Amino acid sequence: MTVTRPGTEAAPAASVSPSPEPKRFRLSNWDARYTPYLIIAPFFLVFGIFGLYPLIYTAWVSLHDWQLIDGNLGFVGLDNYVELFGDAKFWNALFNTLSLFVLSTVPQLLAALGLAALLDRGLRGSAFWRAGVLLPNVISVAAVALVFAQFFGRDFGIVNFLLGLIGIDPIDWRAETWASHLAVSTMVMWRWTGYNALLYLAAMQSVPKDMYESATLDGAGRWRMFWSITVPSIRPTILFTVVTSTIGGLQLFAEPALFDPGFAANNSTGGSDRQFQTLVLYMYEKGFRLFDAGYAATVAWMLFVVVLLVAVVNFTLTRRIAGKE
Amino acid sequence: MSKRLVGSAAAAMVMVMVAGCGGGSQADGKIELSLGLFSDFGYDKLIEEYQASHSNIKIEQRKVKMEQHNTQLATQLAGGRGAADIVALEEGVVSQFRASKDKFVNLAEYGAKDLKDQWAGWKWNQGTADGGEFVLGLGTDMGSLGLCYRRDLFEAAGLPTDRAEVAKLWPTWADYAKAADTFTAKTPNVKFVDTARNVYKAILDQTEEGYFAKDDSYIAEKNDKVKTAFETAAALGTKQQTGALEPFSQDWNVALKQGSFATTTCPAWALALIKAGAGDAAAGKWDVTTAPGGGGNWGGSFLAVPKQGKHPKEAYELAKWLTAPEQQKRIFKETGNLPSQPKVYQDAEVQATVNEYFNSAPVGQIFATSAESLKPTYRGTKDSKVGPVFGTALTRVEQGKQSAAEAWTQALKEATDAAK
Repeated sequence: MTVTRPGTEAAPAASVSPSPEPKRFRLSNWDARYTPYLIIAPFFLVFGIFGLYPLIYTAWVSLHDWQLIDGNLGFVGLDNYVELFGDAKFWNALFNTLSLFVLSTVPQLLAALGLAALLDRGLRGSAFWRAGVLLPNVISVAAVALVFAQFFGRDFGIVNFLLGLIGIDPIDWRAETWASHLAVSTMVMWRWTGYNALLYLAAMQSVPKDMYESATLDGAGRWRMFWSITVPSIRPTILFTVVTSTIGGLQLFAEPALFDPGFAANNSTGGSDRQFQTLVLYMYEKGFRLFDAGYAATVAWMLFVVVLLVAVVNFTLTRRIAGKE
Repeated sequence: MSKRLVGSAAAAMVMVMVAGCGGGSQADGKIELSLGLFSDFGYDKLIEEYQASHSNIKIEQRKVKMEQHNTQLATQLAGGRGAADIVALEEGVVSQFRASKDKFVNLAEYGAKDLKDQWAGWKWNQGTADGGEFVLGLGTDMGSLGLCYRRDLFEAAGLPTDRAEVAKLWPTWADYAKAADTFTAKTPNVKFVDTARNVYKAILDQTEEGYFAKDDSYIAEKNDKVKTAFETAAALGTKQQTGALEPFSQDWNVALKQGSFATTTCPAWALALIKAGAGDAAAGKWDVTTAPGGGGNWGGSFLAVPKQGKHPKEAYELAKWLTAPEQQKRIFKETGNLPSQPKVYQDAEVQATVNEYFNSAPVGQIFATSAESLKPTYRGTKDSKVGPVFGTALTRVEQGKQSAAEAWTQALKEATDAAK
């Protein structure tokens, strides 16, 4: 295929006898210019319908007194937002969300990095180990949450049983804020560490081996090579996982919801005193239990803003930290 | 090419969406009716029969968990599509849906008012609005209150085991609390009751007005009965006589199996849940007796017809048949769901019914007696929003996070917000 630059078609037409050439050129020019857009258009079409439209509609709803069943009961401007900023339950949910996010994401990504480094060393039966670390991610979140909820049971839970063996009194995992955050974070880590490890592993395998060889000649140890060669080389992947984990972590719902036995009874507030109620759980409570769609939409929009902010901050921070080029 | 691709993708999507939303209602010339239910209404056999006698009607049951059912129904009513032709409304939320009655068919248009006398007066009233002019739903079962107890655990604690004597043990809830003290003193490792929340709910269900006065005004903070109920239940929690369990949850089932609590409040429909949770190993160990404080109603449902359905008349006919006395009697024999119609629960055959699993307790008689004496609680429009606040407050007491007084103060504040 000939590549036509925009300049070529401006050649003086008078000197050339009329032929189909210029038209065809123009056509292929058009083709080269617009086909890529057309090809990605379906994505944006779908995104527009299922992403952008709900986003804008949610903003619209949040400016109204909007009840789930009865619908729009009138425009209230920013009243919902004003109420939200003075709502202690909102700030509590925000704190829980951020706390759960930090508690689960930081150890998770560090563990994934370590795990990937181990897998990268060419273990025997590597395919088995690689498939193995992904397994927790394949199992449905509901099943994982059910099992972990039993592990962290107060009366008959295995974690309390094990703690009892070393002389620690049983912990009511759903009653204490820190305990519940720990338990929920464990669930998240269990599900996502392997997944991120595989992403890191794929990136690590494309790091040129000669870099390690010359480093070895220079007398660098494993630890030094890991931090000075491996981590900077897989920086784009680390950035990617940080951003996706941020989005996922801040939208945490299923794990804390299913950890709360009250969720099935639909009176879940994420613990008896909202100890582990995340923003999404709070949104769910407002929208689907109290039927206040307008307020739930407001929470949703604030969540969107928070995710955006934290993602930008994390992106910048990670680029700095891993950014030795 | 790419344009065509976009076009066909869009067309495919539209088709998927249409297929997803359209409830085909005229397959093979029959009228299809869907029935949106939760838990076990005992309709399986009845529906087969109805289809056999009405050859032009095909019925589909949709069963989900109750809470999911309520949320789903709310979104379906909001969206104007997707709801079943007949939906079950539970007593706790019927007042909430009554506030959106314009989304439902007024069954009076099809002559429902003529059926009024079938039901206990209060049951009929709960399913109507506008002073009886708007008939929202026809009553199915009711949840008259009893109390279940473990005979073996009572014996171990030196308490009587015979159900008449156990009933004498607790004419009031204060006596019940005393029995708890005796029990705990003898067997400190077994909890007397599963959860403070159900005790609270049961006491409240024995009063005529709870969080809301009959004019729908919010009175929780000045209604002594709410406070007394809370304090009675919270005291059990403070003394660690409760299992601090989430009612009817997985943990509750495990505790039932382990036999770690000795009593639980028993509306008629709870018998099936206890049997399922405790399993065959506990057959004959559980028994039923009358609840402290007299009769009360907790639960029971209504069948309503959302306006968005295509066949309101046929739906009404089916709902009418399913809630008719003959059918209620059969359901009671099959599932134990207590009929909400005096003529049925006074029926000799119903009265003579015993439940073998519960040490052959005469459940027909126990629940019917309780039904006779019950004073139904008025449920405010926002009852289902206010109620859970007090439930979580009691959990905080059971968890030792707050004193009863602290939990009460916080609950009142949250309830007042929720009632706004």
